Amino acid sequence: MKTDFIRKPLSLPSEAWINEQLAYYGGPAVIPEDSRKTTFPSITKEDIVQMLVSIQQSPEDVIDEFTEKYRSYVGANYAIATASGTSSLHLALVGVGVQPGDEVIVPAFTFIATAQAIVAAKAIPVFVDIDPLTYNLNPALVEQAITARTRVIMPVHVHGLPADLAQLRALADKHQLRLVEDASHAHSASIGGQLCGSIGDGAGQSLMADKNFPVGGEGGIAFFKEWEDYERALSFLQETGIDYRMSWIAAAFGISQLDRLPFYDAIRARNASYLTNILAQTKLFKGPHVPEGHKHSYNMYRIKLDPEAAGLGDLPDYQVKEAIQELASSEGVFAREWQNVPIPGHLPFQNRKGFGRGYPFTLSERKDFGYHIDHFPETLNMLRSTLTICRELRSPIEYERIAAYALAFQKIDANPSIIRELVLQNTAAKKSYERDARLG
Amino acid sequence: MAHTTIITAPEKVTPVIKKEQYFSLSFVLSRVLNSGVIMSIEKNESELKGLEKSIGKLTQSKYVSLFNSYTGAVHAALWGQDIVHGSLTRLEEASEQDQRFVSWLGVGLVTDSEVSQGFEKVSVTWGNLPRIEQELQPKLRQSPVLVLDFTELGFGPCASISVNDESVWTKAERLKIFGAFDLKTMWTQEEAEPDIQPGAQFNYRLSPLVAACVKLSLLRRNSSHED
Repeated sequence: MKTDFIRKPLSLPSEAWINEQLAYYGGPAVIPEDSRKTTFPSITKEDIVQMLVSIQQSPEDVIDEFTEKYRSYVGANYAIATASGTSSLHLALVGVGVQPGDEVIVPAFTFIATAQAIVAAKAIPVFVDIDPLTYNLNPALVEQAITARTRVIMPVHVHGLPADLAQLRALADKHQLRLVEDASHAHSASIGGQLCGSIGDGAGQSLMADKNFPVGGEGGIAFFKEWEDYERALSFLQETGIDYRMSWIAAAFGISQLDRLPFYDAIRARNASYLTNILAQTKLFKGPHVPEGHKHSYNMYRIKLDPEAAGLGDLPDYQVKEAIQELASSEGVFAREWQNVPIPGHLPFQNRKGFGRGYPFTLSERKDFGYHIDHFPETLNMLRSTLTICRELRSPIEYERIAAYALAFQKIDANPSIIRELVLQNTAAKKSYERDARLG
Repeated sequence: MAHTTIITAPEKVTPVIKKEQYFSLSFVLSRVLNSGVIMSIEKNESELKGLEKSIGKLTQSKYVSLFNSYTGAVHAALWGQDIVHGSLTRLEEASEQDQRFVSWLGVGLVTDSEVSQGFEKVSVTWGNLPRIEQELQPKLRQSPVLVLDFTELGFGPCASISVNDESVWTKAERLKIFGAFDLKTMWTQEEAEPDIQPGAQFNYRLSPLVAACVKLSLLRRNSSHED
């Protein structure tokens, strides 16, 4: 039988590693090549037993049991389990009343599915730049983007940090718009104790295997505050014949995995806190900013680079970033860009083929959709000067591993002259958004 | 005021698993769970590829694409052939669901035999699984795209398209946000082939666990007495 068991234990970390030669130049990697594998989710006997129980029930009953259990955990009024996060967002949008040709305001920095769900609802994504501190939709810019066609503001709790829903709600109320959360990174994340997914008029959330709360493979869930919106979403499924059902196998895993979510959350929070504290002691790196009252779920952890503090301010920021990425990768730390181009710069929005022959973009009277990436300077700035670690905070990442991660950043921080050397060698490096867009 | 009961769609389309099928499902699932197949996205590309290969053999097709629903496969079958919003197509025995979904895509359904058939479809069930080759034979030549719906096997919504034309397959894959084509080329999306650039994309990605169960059901289709 194949096993996911990590057979090779990591050594206990030692601060002396910081002074070793960088792995890029032949020194010992902080995380050796054969110890870089991580596993997630944990599959235990509870999952297997749940599967044996679920197999004796009808698929609808298994899916309903999962939906009710998670809806109650999140504190949303109504919920529909779906096949994916994208389909949940689509349902949330049609549920709150989005009609073909309506405009939906969405951040320029997210995963492409957020914006594609808007197109699936036959609506027009209107992109707005991010807040430079939180990387979430900037409420100060949202109002300028509202037109007579705007129907919804759709913030994304990117990486798991809740967006500024209080300000966005005030704007939505002022302009009689609906608020739909993309909570795909934000399982158990909260504002003032209220969980993401239950705050907006509607919400969509991915439950795929890589998320903090995974079901068996692919899945999603749409949440609604109002009964009418929930009913509208169900009617839409009926009228269109679209099959967005979650597999009962995925739902069965969700039932047993949900009991483990508080444990997963606690481990992530512990690891994030540990890493943030260590990074605060470096010149080059800084962990995520978390506003008071917001609980971050750390589906991803974005690190801000500060070349100036390390005496590298005279070098182009994106080149410093690329050099650090290379050094980190040699040490066994997979720090990456995640997105490298603002979403409006991706081909589906540049070309606007939609469902074919340009629909639904042809419903718009706009000449300029505002999809040129230069409209999003804060997103571009962030892409040039940050790196993301995606999986390494998650359970069951042991102390040795997160400590080794932190040590790798300290080791790089101790070598600014090497970073300078690498930048000067690699003058051909391009800004990430000048390369072709990647998906995630 | 919060309601705590969950209301399901008025018209349930989920096929009800019959009691006599529990054992077949249990057998397949326990085999899959004990094979080390888990649900992690990084580790299960092989399960999806394995199912594609099995379907390819069964349908004698060069290219297969998987979907997490029948309607996803219908969408891909049409999009792959450039039957898009504003186009017309013809379907033999279009079900009510076919009609509603195709209409939602903005594609007109006609009965004019001059219009080529959009796709041919077969639903794979525990009933026809042992003789599925014979069932597929007459269908293989009727349309360039064959949609197989595996949902009634009971593991969850699952379907595929089978084609011999690479360009149809490529375009169908680009319909998926997480299509294999995108995963392979996500660093090189500056297309040399503008025709296959994506438009609206959906996450039609199939769960590897469901794929593994369907694959095993296909592979063991002539061993029904084993259980």
